[in-house]
Amino acid sequence: MDAAESKKTPLYDEHAKMGAKIVSFAGFYMPLYYKSIIEEHLNVRNNSGIFDISHMGEITIKGKDASAFVDYVFTADVSKISQGEIVYSLILNEKGGIIDDVTVFKFSGEEYMVVVNAANTRKDFAWIQHIQTEFQKKGKDVSAENISDGIGLLSVQGPKSRDLIYPLISDIVKIGKCGLFDFNFKPKNIKDLKHFEFGCAEFKDVNVEALLSRSGYTGEFGFEIFIPAEKTAILWNYLLKNSHLSNLLPVGLGARDTLRFEAALPLYGHELDETINPYDAGLEKYLSGAKDFIGKEALKNIKNKEKRLIFFKLSGKQIPRHSQRILDENLKPIGCIASGTYSPSNKFPIGSAYISDGGVDVSFLKNFFIDIRGNFEKAEVVSPPFHRNFKAGSLK
Amino acid sequence: MIKSGSFYFSKSHEWVGMDSNNKYHIGISDFAQSELGDVVYVSLPEAGKTYKKDDKIGEIESVKSVSEIYAPVELKVISVNSKLNDTPELINQDPNGAGFIAEVEVSNDFDTEGLMDESAYKTFIDSSHHE
Repeated sequence: MDAAESKKTPLYDEHAKMGAKIVSFAGFYMPLYYKSIIEEHLNVRNNSGIFDISHMGEITIKGKDASAFVDYVFTADVSKISQGEIVYSLILNEKGGIIDDVTVFKFSGEEYMVVVNAANTRKDFAWIQHIQTEFQKKGKDVSAENISDGIGLLSVQGPKSRDLIYPLISDIVKIGKCGLFDFNFKPKNIKDLKHFEFGCAEFKDVNVEALLSRSGYTGEFGFEIFIPAEKTAILWNYLLKNSHLSNLLPVGLGARDTLRFEAALPLYGHELDETINPYDAGLEKYLSGAKDFIGKEALKNIKNKEKRLIFFKLSGKQIPRHSQRILDENLKPIGCIASGTYSPSNKFPIGSAYISDGGVDVSFLKNFFIDIRGNFEKAEVVSPPFHRNFKAGSLK
Repeated sequence: MIKSGSFYFSKSHEWVGMDSNNKYHIGISDFAQSELGDVVYVSLPEAGKTYKKDDKIGEIESVKSVSEIYAPVELKVISVNSKLNDTPELINQDPNGAGFIAEVEVSNDFDTEGLMDESAYKTFIDSSHHE
């Protein structure tokens, strides 16, 4: 997308005031880093960090047939989760290609919220509207709404994030309004939330009601905080004013990417796109065996993996980058880089790649090369994640 | 001829400067390092090799990007800053000092044409890079 068309999140002025390096990403002007990607990354691993992720999309799906609808559009068993729970899922096209990877929040059997990648919000919403029309033609009651512009979304991540959040909130555990949302179930206390559960709380002093979920994209303990767009700057500044509680630093998209990649979490456009199916990406555990969904029929004909996603580390210092070639030990091209970056936790370059032969025996790939602008850099297959107990030689 | 202790900058954000011992060094500007972000790898030029002005002499990789280093003047590399092999972050910390790229030899009365002194360079980056 042209930079001229980029939108601003409610925090654009705050990022600019803090001297962030601003880049255009997924149609939004976003902070790449405030001071240093490496420092921001390590602070999330050791303390805590706050991210503006208001660029992400939110789509609500409501109606008497909302459960049937989400079960048809998404690959995971969405309707089976409980109220107040979240599930990770894929959206596939009819050929089994990945349209997006999303999380779905269940408010009730008649109300869900889907959180989608910023770059895909329009595409996903158009797809969902298309399926909605099919449902409505059959007399089903379902309606989807893109509420992205009205929502501010902050993410607080890191082992100390609880030390920031818990003292600043009072729980709201009753049925009823929660900021922009309507809770038709009694939510848990925030402290009692398990991973992929959500509740409601009010931030004291600033009187901001928020939906808080125990979720994130870093591999660390953390929260994502959904608030009305117009309250975003108030809450952002309030949390940063209390940064001493958890050694909180603002974190840009640069460290968001290195953090998610060390945790081996896929990024749409890198590990995932419409030419890749869930088997290629190693995401078959998010395919329900219990129901029909779009793309399921096509996946039945995919007997073998067409490609295979591998993770690797490099012995050199040059950083592998998206779409560079992978060569076997005879320098024959065998695939392409999906993601490549520097690992701040390990201080060496790491990456992921799709090997064109899905049946490849990974033990043959002990040593291979990456063509980094004409330099053939040696790489070694490893098992992610890269940020836990990662010691040389311990990963096979 | 450039003045001792001063820096001259290219449009591609390299500098050449002469220290108090009349030795010439080259490096990248503070503006360039701040645009790159955390530097994690530097491919250095070859000691002993001669480069023409604007020849590619190396590469700098940050976490997010890679960019090329060009010779700001015609030069011969005397020695490279090998500290950058293990501590590339010196470029972020002290781009005009400990984070220099190489010590170089330049012809005595080298041509500063096309280079900018510090105040002209400041005007250049303010005018072409403000957002």
